[in-house]
Amino acid sequence: MLQCIFLLSDSGEVMLEKQLTGHRVDRSICAWFWEQSVSQPDSFKVLPVIASPTHYLFQIVREGITFLACTQVEMQPLMGIEFLCRVADVLSDYLGGLNEDVIKDNFVIVYELLDEMIDNGFPLTTEPNILRDMIAPPNIVSKMLSVVTGNTSNVSDTLPGATSSCVPWRTTQLKHANNDVYVNLVEELDAIINSDGVLVKCEIFGVVEVNSHLSGIPDLTLSFANPSILNDVQFHPCIRFRPWESEKVLSFVPPDGLFKLMSYRVKKLRNTPIYVKPQMSSESGTCRLSVMVGIRNDPGKAVDSLVVQFQLPHCVSSANLTANHGTVNILADKTCSWSIGRIPKDKAPQMSGTLVLEDGVEQLQVKPTFCVGFKIMGVALSGLKINKLDVKNLPTPAHKGFRAQTEAGQYEVRS
Amino acid sequence: MVPPAQSQRSPSPSQPSGKGEVSDLKMQLRQLAGSRAPGTDDSKRDLFKKVISYMTIGIDVSSVFSEMVMCSATSDIVLKKMCYLYVGNYAKYNPDLALLTINFLQRDCKDEDPMIRGLALRSLGSLRVPNLVEYLVGPLGAGLKDGNSYVRMVAAVGVLKLYHISASTCFDADFPALLKHLLLNDPDAQVVANCLSALQEIWGQEASSSEEAAREREALISKPIIYYLLNRIKEFSEWAQCTVLELVSKYAPPDSNEIFDIMNLLEDRLQHANGAVVLATIKLFLQLTLSMTDVHQQVYERIKAPLLTLVSSGSPEQSYAVLSHLHLLVMRAPMLFASDYKHLYCQYNEPFYVKKLKLEMLTAVANESNTYEIVTELCEYAANVDIPIARESIRAVGKIALEQYDVNAIVDRLLQFLEMEKDYVTAETLVLVKDLLRKYPQWSHDCIAVIGNISSNNVQEPKAKAALIWMLGEYAQDMQDAPYALEGLIDDWEDETSPEVRLHLLTAVMKCFFRRPPETQKALGSALAAGLADMHQDVHDRALFYYRLLQHNISVANSVVNPTKQAVSVFADTQSSEIKDRIFDEFNSLSVLYQKPCYMFTDKEHQGPFAFSEELGNLSIGVDDQRVEANEEDLLLSTTRKEDSLPQQTQGALLVSLDQNEPAAAHAQQTNSVIDDLFGLGLSSSPSPSSLLKLNAKAVLDPTTFQQKWRQLPVSTSQEGSISPQGVAAMTTPQALVRHMQVHYIHCIASGGQAPNFKLFFFAQKADEPSNFLVECIINTSTSKAHIKIKADDESASQAFSALFQSALSKFGMA
Repeated sequence: MLQCIFLLSDSGEVMLEKQLTGHRVDRSICAWFWEQSVSQPDSFKVLPVIASPTHYLFQIVREGITFLACTQVEMQPLMGIEFLCRVADVLSDYLGGLNEDVIKDNFVIVYELLDEMIDNGFPLTTEPNILRDMIAPPNIVSKMLSVVTGNTSNVSDTLPGATSSCVPWRTTQLKHANNDVYVNLVEELDAIINSDGVLVKCEIFGVVEVNSHLSGIPDLTLSFANPSILNDVQFHPCIRFRPWESEKVLSFVPPDGLFKLMSYRVKKLRNTPIYVKPQMSSESGTCRLSVMVGIRNDPGKAVDSLVVQFQLPHCVSSANLTANHGTVNILADKTCSWSIGRIPKDKAPQMSGTLVLEDGVEQLQVKPTFCVGFKIMGVALSGLKINKLDVKNLPTPAHKGFRAQTEAGQYEVRS
Repeated sequence: MVPPAQSQRSPSPSQPSGKGEVSDLKMQLRQLAGSRAPGTDDSKRDLFKKVISYMTIGIDVSSVFSEMVMCSATSDIVLKKMCYLYVGNYAKYNPDLALLTINFLQRDCKDEDPMIRGLALRSLGSLRVPNLVEYLVGPLGAGLKDGNSYVRMVAAVGVLKLYHISASTCFDADFPALLKHLLLNDPDAQVVANCLSALQEIWGQEASSSEEAAREREALISKPIIYYLLNRIKEFSEWAQCTVLELVSKYAPPDSNEIFDIMNLLEDRLQHANGAVVLATIKLFLQLTLSMTDVHQQVYERIKAPLLTLVSSGSPEQSYAVLSHLHLLVMRAPMLFASDYKHLYCQYNEPFYVKKLKLEMLTAVANESNTYEIVTELCEYAANVDIPIARESIRAVGKIALEQYDVNAIVDRLLQFLEMEKDYVTAETLVLVKDLLRKYPQWSHDCIAVIGNISSNNVQEPKAKAALIWMLGEYAQDMQDAPYALEGLIDDWEDETSPEVRLHLLTAVMKCFFRRPPETQKALGSALAAGLADMHQDVHDRALFYYRLLQHNISVANSVVNPTKQAVSVFADTQSSEIKDRIFDEFNSLSVLYQKPCYMFTDKEHQGPFAFSEELGNLSIGVDDQRVEANEEDLLLSTTRKEDSLPQQTQGALLVSLDQNEPAAAHAQQTNSVIDDLFGLGLSSSPSPSSLLKLNAKAVLDPTTFQQKWRQLPVSTSQEGSISPQGVAAMTTPQALVRHMQVHYIHCIASGGQAPNFKLFFFAQKADEPSNFLVECIINTSTSKAHIKIKADDESASQAFSALFQSALSKFGMA
């Protein structure tokens, strides 16, 4: 059970403090925490769960905002971390992004939200749909509405029906002028290619996102053409388990709006859509570097937003790198980033040049890792195909739409 | 650094005091309080916002309390919420003013809007002012019977808040019984969940003092309630599911059919999007099948995929928490994860702590079939930009080599590392090659050829230097220039800062001397001379020891420094399997993340139930850190102190084993017993304490003084002791031990707990002066361990007292 939640800005200032139990946590704990995290050279290195002299702290960082929760008793660690993640998600959803100003401008809403999300240290509801019914988000629509109707309160007068309905993630009386539902497959490709050019690991992590605007209580059934390729799945609570177990179909009553219906993993892919081939050879204090990029396995759609990034080793004193396509940038922290964009049809992009090593270093012994980013719209690389989507229990037929996209997740090429 | 206590009312000097602004606000609020003009609410809202924002940044705005309350008569719900927030924050420190708010809160509790009723009730409970509880009872009672589930849900938690303010009021109003009724009958799952959380906590805390409460607590994990909750599991919110699953994991089904029923019912929870639910389910499954080996294995197989998905799906923070649990499982049953090794490969962008966990797991899952791939992968990290990871991965390669899969290829790789000519790579590799040679002397030929080429000037790190020197000494006959390399090092004796290296140098030159006397004689002479003049006690002692040994008898000296060695078969594990088992029992708790069982970092005997006292809660954790340090110091102290009193032959063994690279296995048994004695665990070695310290047989100390002292004094000794099996048998109630200790003039002031966990507080007084010793003793009979924390007025005597206490404790049950 959590005792207190703090929100810290990126300079360590306490922006918000929410005490949850009678055992008040002094905010000096934040100063202690900040000292700890500043003393680490890389803020990334602070553990998510740390023990302070008086409390155990859970922390997550989102967009420079630190969400800090304190407890003094043993508890389920993921409950603390997951809860903070939800808080961050909900806030970012409500406020349209997270930053210091937006939180300070809307701290009343943040307090209201936290009030409904957790009571006396027990998490209550974190479903965005239900929260939205209780506390209206501060968006333009509600501002307009308040001007028109003269009702300045951003809190609805009635309690959400969902609190008493049998489908806790959905309000009972939803009405939309246009009924539509969109299904989007978003996949991330994780791959490791080792220094011998061997693909050691290639895996897809995918999410089925659904954006639903349907009236009443619709009943949806989504089936895949090839569900057997899925290695493991995780479901939104709305999915009924039995139909999946017996027939591998997803049967559910959706929440309203955008949500993650399911996430899945597909292991052991044999191929990657592109190749990235780094080559290095060092000789008497300089190192020649060339990186070639191209299509290996045409996914059928354009590979877009291609970026190759790597960290120059410490012993490199200067670098002179040019590319025949795209731009090469070397930042102050020795990160080199080559933005290619879309791969041209007529030539294979190549970056080459020399790295000058520090005095006394003959050979480059430390090998950089090349992190690759790209995006392919219109294709789910795992090969997962949606068969059909049935919508039942709806007065008028709904408009249905399907999309897919694949991005590079952790795609790295070692040299 | 310990955060200073309670400084709520004094904002830090860097922030504006805001005094002027606050009095402005006060004026404006006062003007608005009575106004009924249109638009008042809007201007009130702006002012409230200002007040709250001051409160948020830490400026004390408690002075506008009465004005805030006056302005709170409004129908605007946002204003109400802000006001509730404000009142909740300051009421505790302004109990008199809080009375002002009661009126309007009570009125709101009867509002027709359930939302306002709920909010008002929640705020009423959050006031936490002891003398206002009477006003809380009525609205709470009404709230529990409210027609709207939102209000009931708030009321259920409200009861818990009331319990913490005044337990007696809570019981007088018979709220626990009402909660139990709701728990079993309410149609709304969230109300049920809140009742459950509240009841768990209330009964959990009462259980130690009242038998009825203990029975009620047991009743929560009885079959009817467990089944009732399980049947409704899908209605609960994800968080409530975690609570229920945690409760179910305490239930022990009587037969295997029930176990399978429960697992079938909950299997789909493994597919839940919320990691907390998945982990709670996994814990439950592991607990349920603990006694069924086959099924337990199948459970591992079943939970593997969800765990791996969780690792890749969440944010880095979530991944870390899941990985820590995966780490625990992998360490327990590495072979089950052997085929999934690719999931444990490190990604470049991962934070250090994640990579480290992954490296440890990769090391653990290595077996005949995957060693090649894993070692290839690890070797890639050695050339990584990230130096700490490069080091860790070299160590990992070494550990795998020690597990003797495919040693041949691995040794080649290790030797290749030496060719990379990176100082940290070389350093780590040298340490590993040394360990390898200790286990596989047959590889000496290949290794020595490469090691011989390394110039000691290129090795700076003490550990690596020591390893190199050890090899020079050990393989002096195979390395052409070993005596000359050692001689060079001895010439630089003055510049060598690490005593460890100098110790090794002494031993190595001795070894070398017996193998190649003419070449080494000069070096040995100068080494012994330098050693005898050394400022460091250990170095000096060892040089003197060798010198006398040589004087005494050359052949004896030879057999001491160059005994026939057996290869080390198993290196001592860093973490005992008992501790691992303990952590496993605490699956899905913080213990897993710290890789320590909870008794090693928290004071609470029971996980879960929310139980801490106001000040001690803060205190005990702060003290915990000191305890660890103190513990280490104690060890050092007792080592040096007791060495003198050791019997002659043990001392010999000790000195020989000082050379840590001598075959540890050969001496392991002996050394262990020595070390055991050093810990003061055994009866035999503890010096007869009565001669050192006499205790007052009729000591008196009243409980308040005890509490006060316990809070003020630092922990002077903190130790782990053991209890004899007879003691465990006699330890059915704390009273048995209390009587036993009384015989030794150690008096009990408080005791409690049930098998297997007991907690007792003792005190004792010196016979000749009024100097007190306070002891906290936590006993676990299932492991026969006692955890002892001693605080003393006179810290210098605490060692002696500790010994006395432990010897008294170890005699428990003997008579």
